[in-house]
Amino acid sequence: MKTSHYDRAHHAKKATGVGDPQCFKGEAGLAKFKVGDRVRIKDLPDLFYSRCQVYTRGAVGVVIVVVYESPAPEDEAWDNTDKSEWFYCVKFRQKDLWPEYPDLYANDTVETEFSERWLEKA
Amino acid sequence: MSDKPHEHKPAPMVDEVSDFEALEIAVRELAIEKGLFSAEDHRRWTEYVHTLGPLPAARLVAKAWLDPEYKKLAVTDGVKASLEVGVDWINSPPTGFGTPSDYCNLRVLEDTPKLKHVVVCTLCSCYPRPILGQSPEWYRTPNYRRRLVRWPRQVLAEFGLQLPPDIEIRVADSNQKTRYMVMPTRPAGTEGWSEEQLAEIVTRDCLIGVAVPKPGVKANAKRPVHPAVHPVHHDH
Repeated sequence: MKTSHYDRAHHAKKATGVGDPQCFKGEAGLAKFKVGDRVRIKDLPDLFYSRCQVYTRGAVGVVIVVVYESPAPEDEAWDNTDKSEWFYCVKFRQKDLWPEYPDLYANDTVETEFSERWLEKA
Repeated sequence: MSDKPHEHKPAPMVDEVSDFEALEIAVRELAIEKGLFSAEDHRRWTEYVHTLGPLPAARLVAKAWLDPEYKKLAVTDGVKASLEVGVDWINSPPTGFGTPSDYCNLRVLEDTPKLKHVVVCTLCSCYPRPILGQSPEWYRTPNYRRRLVRWPRQVLAEFGLQLPPDIEIRVADSNQKTRYMVMPTRPAGTEGWSEEQLAEIVTRDCLIGVAVPKPGVKANAKRPVHPAVHPVHHDH
């Protein structure tokens, strides 16, 4: 009987000496958003795994860095690494995340990252 | 009841293995059995991680304070800037490609007189370990992680850092492959200091963003430990 062989070291082979996320560079094509774009975080289902915080869902922020290309954690958690996406660092006003945040500190902000699938133009 | 006076034994800090520790040991042993890595690999990795500390990051900040060109490099390419303080994110760890908790994408967050950064990982406890070493215990607690992102000023005040409202506090929530460290502003009273002198006042807490450097302060502030309101009683 022929046994199937799965190469568990494929990520190590790809990333050694290059780095992760550097090893996925050039795989995601054109970035849909650019620095300065206003984006809304989609409220997608996250049945199995996600790194998109619930507190950001539905909030509107501004892209401050287009950071790198990588498979999204929702895929990578299951070792589906053949489809990379652009990642964006998005800045939010605290007031837009927590309605009770005091007006006195209206300048305060939070920044965090999202893969492209979570963002829509706002 | 016994006549003997109650003997007061100090409760041990950790008196049992947590579920997560048991899970880690189980997964580790299965992985070794399956041949994904060897016990020797695991030992080497653990020993490597314990050699790391926050000194290179403190040097990076001190160097950037003195050299505007280096500061530009640190802010635009943290991984490249780390090389000059002896940290090779990509090649030096035993795996040679980082690990899921040490992805090779460092961003150095530059504070200004009107902007103060502070770092958290609300989802787990991501931390720039190659340049900062192991995270402090409080950084990993749900208490810090869930409160900092929502009540940053209150949490910073608990660390002894109270900032006026005109300073923007920016929380960086490290949720993907970027690791953050803070480059605080250079404090007054350090004019003419050497790189070594400057690096001494950039403590780990300054690099996470819960403190700001002060001349003469070379250690992290002691965290006060409050007694629990409803403490757990140990009968044994």
